[in-house]
Amino acid sequence: MKILVLVKNVPEVAEAELEIDQGALDLEDLEMVVNEWDNYAVEEAVRITEASGGEVHLMTLGGEDDEDVLRRGLAMGAHAASHLCDEAFEGSDPATVARIFAAAVKGGGYDLILTGVQSADLGQASIGVLLAQELGLPHATMAIALEPSAGEVVVTRELENNTSEKVALPLPAVVTVQSGINQPRYVSIMGIRKVRKMTIEQIEADDLSLAEDALGAAASMVASQSLVLPPMGDGAQMLEGGLDSVCDQAAAILREKGGLA
Amino acid sequence: MNPLRMPFWGVEWAWLFYLLATLALAVLALGLWEKIALWAQGRRAAPVASHSHPLGAVLADVFLGRRIWQGGRTAGLMHLMLLWGFLGLFVGTCAVAVDHYLISFLQGRVYLWFSAGLEACGLLLVLGLMLALARRWLLPVPRLERRPDDTLLPLWLLAVACGGFMVEAARLAATRPPWEAWSFVGYGLSGLFPSAVAAREAFPWLWWSHALISLGFIAWLPWSKLAHAIAAPASLYLQGQPLAVLAVAAEEGDLAALGLRHLLHLDACTRCGRCVEVCPAAQAGEPFSPRDLLRRARRQARLKYSPLYRLPWLRGRRQALLERDRAADWEAAWYCTTCRACLEVCPVQAAPIEMIRKLRAGLVEQGSAVPPQLMDTMEKLFRYGNPWVAKKGAKAGWAQGREIPDLNKKGAEADWLYFVGCTTAIDTRAQGIARALSDVFIHCGVSFGTLGKKEPCCGDIARRLGEQGLMEEQIEATQALLNKQGLTRIICTSPHCFDTIKKVHPLFSEEGLPLQVLHYSQMLHRLWQQGRLIFDHPLPIKVTYHDPCFLARHNRLVDEPRDLLRAMPGLELVEMADHGLNSLCCGGGGGRMWHEIPGQANLAVRRLEQAASTGAELVVTACPLCLIMLEDARKTGGFEDKFAIIDLSELAARALGLAATDREAAVNP
Repeated sequence: MKILVLVKNVPEVAEAELEIDQGALDLEDLEMVVNEWDNYAVEEAVRITEASGGEVHLMTLGGEDDEDVLRRGLAMGAHAASHLCDEAFEGSDPATVARIFAAAVKGGGYDLILTGVQSADLGQASIGVLLAQELGLPHATMAIALEPSAGEVVVTRELENNTSEKVALPLPAVVTVQSGINQPRYVSIMGIRKVRKMTIEQIEADDLSLAEDALGAAASMVASQSLVLPPMGDGAQMLEGGLDSVCDQAAAILREKGGLA
Repeated sequence: MNPLRMPFWGVEWAWLFYLLATLALAVLALGLWEKIALWAQGRRAAPVASHSHPLGAVLADVFLGRRIWQGGRTAGLMHLMLLWGFLGLFVGTCAVAVDHYLISFLQGRVYLWFSAGLEACGLLLVLGLMLALARRWLLPVPRLERRPDDTLLPLWLLAVACGGFMVEAARLAATRPPWEAWSFVGYGLSGLFPSAVAAREAFPWLWWSHALISLGFIAWLPWSKLAHAIAAPASLYLQGQPLAVLAVAAEEGDLAALGLRHLLHLDACTRCGRCVEVCPAAQAGEPFSPRDLLRRARRQARLKYSPLYRLPWLRGRRQALLERDRAADWEAAWYCTTCRACLEVCPVQAAPIEMIRKLRAGLVEQGSAVPPQLMDTMEKLFRYGNPWVAKKGAKAGWAQGREIPDLNKKGAEADWLYFVGCTTAIDTRAQGIARALSDVFIHCGVSFGTLGKKEPCCGDIARRLGEQGLMEEQIEATQALLNKQGLTRIICTSPHCFDTIKKVHPLFSEEGLPLQVLHYSQMLHRLWQQGRLIFDHPLPIKVTYHDPCFLARHNRLVDEPRDLLRAMPGLELVEMADHGLNSLCCGGGGGRMWHEIPGQANLAVRRLEQAASTGAELVVTACPLCLIMLEDARKTGGFEDKFAIIDLSELAARALGLAATDREAAVNP
């Protein structure tokens, strides 16, 4: 089985102090990591090929530094990777990104295309679905289990309140993968070093049969207007005084609000 | 009549004996060949360095059983009796062979003394064997296992020895030579035969049964745990091999891919269980035992590399056993705190610390059996240079309000680099150490600086977790920074950083400047000896000192912290049941600080129970990980009104009247 996984490099923001620079997140002090959901998708794809053969191909769209996300996936056991990298792609909205991916995917002969349910940075949750539309393929979202067989994949989809739905899709198909579908393996430094010499296919705008005005900001219908950080301070109460006094005050507040029995 | 030996006295069919002996020797040779083939395999995987332990010490350990005595007198006595009894009989048998086939010398007085000597050895062996059996069955020693061969082997050997005496007794009873009293045991037993005729009739039966049992034993030798007779001396000889840069196992997550030294360790182990007795994880009831790990590793090494297991009909069984052991190893790999207690008591220096590191390294490369919490820790180490927060530059916060030179800056100079370490720089409790220590240094006029926000991780955690690649990167980055700034004199807060920078960094810095690395307790000790550190504030309290594993066992630093404590006026030092080199681990080493094992017993609580029984009001330690582990256990284990936990540096600051007010509350319970 030939599986394509779309992956994305995203900034890790959980514990970081964020700053906005010209309407976008200032990436200066942020570390880029593989999008959590995509990581699950890569692991799932690698497990499928480990169990029943085939190959895993990775693809990302991003700047030069984003090649790291492909190397990491290769170290996990993917067999090949393509990097869509061109200034012309910048400013693309999700529909345009899906159109670019579709152009790159066409003729690849993939049986299954996986990607994360959503990306941690923009959270549009739309690339997988839009790509299926562009390619005219069936799709399923929120997968928490995959059972591929000849010509078909049965997908367990996560629904609200611990319910789930099993759907069967004829192959080829597009599936977006929910977190928790598996436990992704650790990628060691040595593992990344071992794949350092693997060639990553570079794809530029000219390599795709897309009109110039079908790319980038010009083709996009949605444009980001502003990014707003959460307001500081509200909800936090600063206690003043010595250690004992602060402790007494904190205990009093907890008691008052019913936090202490 | 000249006393002399009578080979094959009254025995017919000597040819059959020779045939069976050849067979037994062939099985013995096959067993030895298998071992040698395995060891050769190990030598290809990782040859041993030419450096080895002083021969005199090895011989003393082997022939006097010094390390066995250290663990218990009965065991020492038993081993000595078995060793010398067995050795005496072995040499005696060789002498008989020489006498019989080469030069005849066993006659006259020589023969008489020889006979008496062999009697003594046989008696020693029998008594030793009885003691061995008694230790397992009558006065059970809890650490000893009772696997079938643990009983069968001594019983068999007992049958060999007693059979020998009976053969001799029958011969004496039948012939009654004038010198019979020299064979005092056989002579004593010869009374069992009612007449010379009866003895003569019984003799061939006794002789043949003795021969068969003995030949069977010879054939079994290399396959039994008596193989330690060869492997244990070799294992002792190879102790203290220089640390090697660990090559990542070709077979991932696989204990079988071990080097020669480790393979010798596996054969040297007789499963005496001293390691289990002192292992903090095993003693806290966790499903881990260093002994079982070694046993599985030995089996795996055999299954994988023994030429015997290449036989086609053994392959299926081989695969099934390997899978089972692998699953057990994958689980066991993460319990070890690398506290080194096992190695301290192991009579043959075979305990598996290095093997566990190798096992972990394999698992990390393989990737899927790494506990998620540790994956997260390693990701943080890689991206942010610390195991605690997903944030860069978090290592300077502790120093707010203190003027400490940043040695990254141009023109900044100091005699010493104070290497704060990830945990001390970031954890709110451990930060107290950095503040106290810098105050003490300033007070004593020590010229020091730090690397501030840019301080890298020294690679210790990656090393302990088996992330070899990350360890290398971190060590190289640290060395590059030190070289760039020309920093060679380093004081570490953490015994863990201290151990890695001192022992492992030099392996990676080919052109680097020679480093002088001290743990802060050594530095304070120096200052105290030089008269620059004078404790002048009385501390009339009773304290007990918890030795961090990486100071005491790994680096033999037990006196320095105690000297400092004793130098503090008014302070009374009392010791816990386990202290110094026998310290009981807090449970924070080996990466376990960052790994909560579901349902895990709290190792630190066990430690504090010992502390509580000393009646001390203060538990002092000298390691940020110990400090955090003990502090947590104090709260969760119900010790809050009994004592406080404090770091040696904080106590030193108090004894100088420098105690930071924010720590005062913690110090006074």
